[in-house]
Amino acid sequence: MTWNRESKLNGFLVLLGVMAAWELAARAALFNPLLFPPMSKIVGSFFALLFSGEIPAQMLSSMRRAATGYFLAAIVFIPLGILMGLFNGVYRALEIVIESARPIPPPVIVPLAMLFFGLGDGMKVFTIFFSCAWPILLNTIDGVRNIDRVLLHTARTFGLSQGKTIASVIVPAASPQVMTGLRISLAITLILVVISEMVGSSDGIGYFILDAQRRLKVDRMYAGMLSLALLGYLLNQLFVLFSSRFLSWHRGMRAAR
Amino acid sequence: MNSRPINVAGLAVFAALLLLWELSSRSSPNLGAYLPPPSDALRSLFRFAVARELFSHLVDTLGRFLLGYVIAAALAVGLGIVLGYFRFAHSLCDVLIELLRPMPSVAIIPVAILLLGIGNTMMVAVTVYACAWPILLNTIDGVRNIDRTLIDTGRTFGLGRWKILRTIALPAAAPYVATGLRISLPIALILVTTSEMVVGGSGLGYFILDQERSFRITEMYAGIVVVALLGYVLNRIFVALEERMTVWHRGSTLRGRP
Repeated sequence: MTWNRESKLNGFLVLLGVMAAWELAARAALFNPLLFPPMSKIVGSFFALLFSGEIPAQMLSSMRRAATGYFLAAIVFIPLGILMGLFNGVYRALEIVIESARPIPPPVIVPLAMLFFGLGDGMKVFTIFFSCAWPILLNTIDGVRNIDRVLLHTARTFGLSQGKTIASVIVPAASPQVMTGLRISLAITLILVVISEMVGSSDGIGYFILDAQRRLKVDRMYAGMLSLALLGYLLNQLFVLFSSRFLSWHRGMRAAR
Repeated sequence: MNSRPINVAGLAVFAALLLLWELSSRSSPNLGAYLPPPSDALRSLFRFAVARELFSHLVDTLGRFLLGYVIAAALAVGLGIVLGYFRFAHSLCDVLIELLRPMPSVAIIPVAILLLGIGNTMMVAVTVYACAWPILLNTIDGVRNIDRTLIDTGRTFGLGRWKILRTIALPAAAPYVATGLRISLPIALILVTTSEMVVGGSGLGYFILDQERSFRITEMYAGIVVVALLGYVLNRIFVALEERMTVWHRGSTLRGRP
C-alpha cells in the first residue's frame, strides 16, 4: 500500500496532533491552567455530563425552542413565499415592509421579544421565527419565480385548476430552492437559540456555556461547546439525508450527478 | 439612476401598517407601554441627548464591525487561496474545519471573554472568527473550481506558479470570494451586536438591551431603527462595490446578457 499524500487520514492525524499538543501543553502548565484544562479533562467532563443527563437535558430544552420557532417559520413563510412568487401584486404590496424589516440584525430582536414575552420560551421562539423568516421567504419567492414557463403552460394545457397546479407543479418545482432556504435557516436557528439563551434564560445549552464560563468551570464550558458542535453536525447531516431523499427525483434532472 | 417605478402599493401597505400601529398604541395606553407609537420613536431620534448617545454607540459598533470584517476577509482569503491551491494543505486542515464549522459561532463568545476579557479585542475577535468561515469556504471552492484550461493556458505561456496565482487564480475566484464576503456581512453585524449585549459597555447591541432593561421603550425602538439602517446601508455599499469590482465577470454570465 502506498501512502497517498492527500489522504483523508492526514486530517485525522493533524487533529490527533493538536489534541496531543493541547494535552501536553496543559499538563506542562505552559498556559494558564485555569483557561486551558487538559484535553483529557474536557473529554472526560463531556462524557460525565453526557451520561449524567445534564447536557441532554439542556439540549432538549434548547431543541424544543429551536424546533418550534423553525417549524413555525416554515409553516408561515413557505406559503407566503409561494403567494408572493406567484402573484406580483402580493409581492409588490409586501415588498417595502419586508425590505425594511430584513436588515435588522436578529440579535437585537431579543430585547424586543423579552419585552413582549418575558424570559420564557415564547421569547426564544419568536426570535428564531423572526430570523428564519428571511432566508425561507426569499428563497421560496425565488424558487417559484424561476419555474420553467413550459411547466406552467403544460399544466394549463392539461386543464389543471389553480390549486392543483400549485400542489402538483409549483411546489415540487420550487422545492430545491425552498430546501436551500430551510438549510440556511437551520444554521441561523442554532445561532439564535444560543444567543437568546445567553442574553435571557436560566436553562438551555447557550445558558449552560455562558454560565460555566462565568463560574470558571472551564472544562464544562468546552464540553458544552463540543456538544454544540456535535449537535450542529448531526442536524446538518440529518437535513442532508432528509433533503436528498425528498429531492431524489430532482437529482436525476441536473447535469451534474 | 435607474428607472424603476415607485412601488405605490408597497408604500401604501407600509404606511397603512405604520398608521395602524400609531393609532392602536395611542388609543390603548396599555399597549402603548410596550409598543409606543412609531412617531414617538422617530421623534426621540431627533432629541439631542438621545441622538448624541446613539451616535456614539453607532460609532463603536461600526468600528468593531469594520475592523472584524476586514481582518476576517484578509485572513480568510489568504488562507482560502492556500487551501484551495495546495491539496496537501487542504487535506491537513480538512478534519479540523469540519469539526469547528458546525458549531454555532456565537458559542465562541464565552471562550473569547475568558481569554481576551470584555474589551474591544474580544468583540473584534469573535467577529473575525465567525466571518472567516463563509469567506474561507467560498474562497477554497472558488480556487478549486477554476477552469483547468485557464491554468494550463497560463502554464503554456510559461507563467510561473506565483504569476498564475496572481493573474489567473485570483481573478477567476473573485466571484466566489464576493459571495463569501456578502454572506459574512450580516454575520459580522450579528456577532458584534450579540457580544455587545453579552458583555455590555457600549455599542448599539448594548444600548438596545440596556434601554429595554431600564424600560425606556421608545429609545429601544429608536436603537432598533438605527441598527436596521446600519444594516441596510452596509448592504447597499457592499452591493455597489461588488458590481464595480466584478463588472468584467458579469459580461461572461447569463445575468449580463443584453
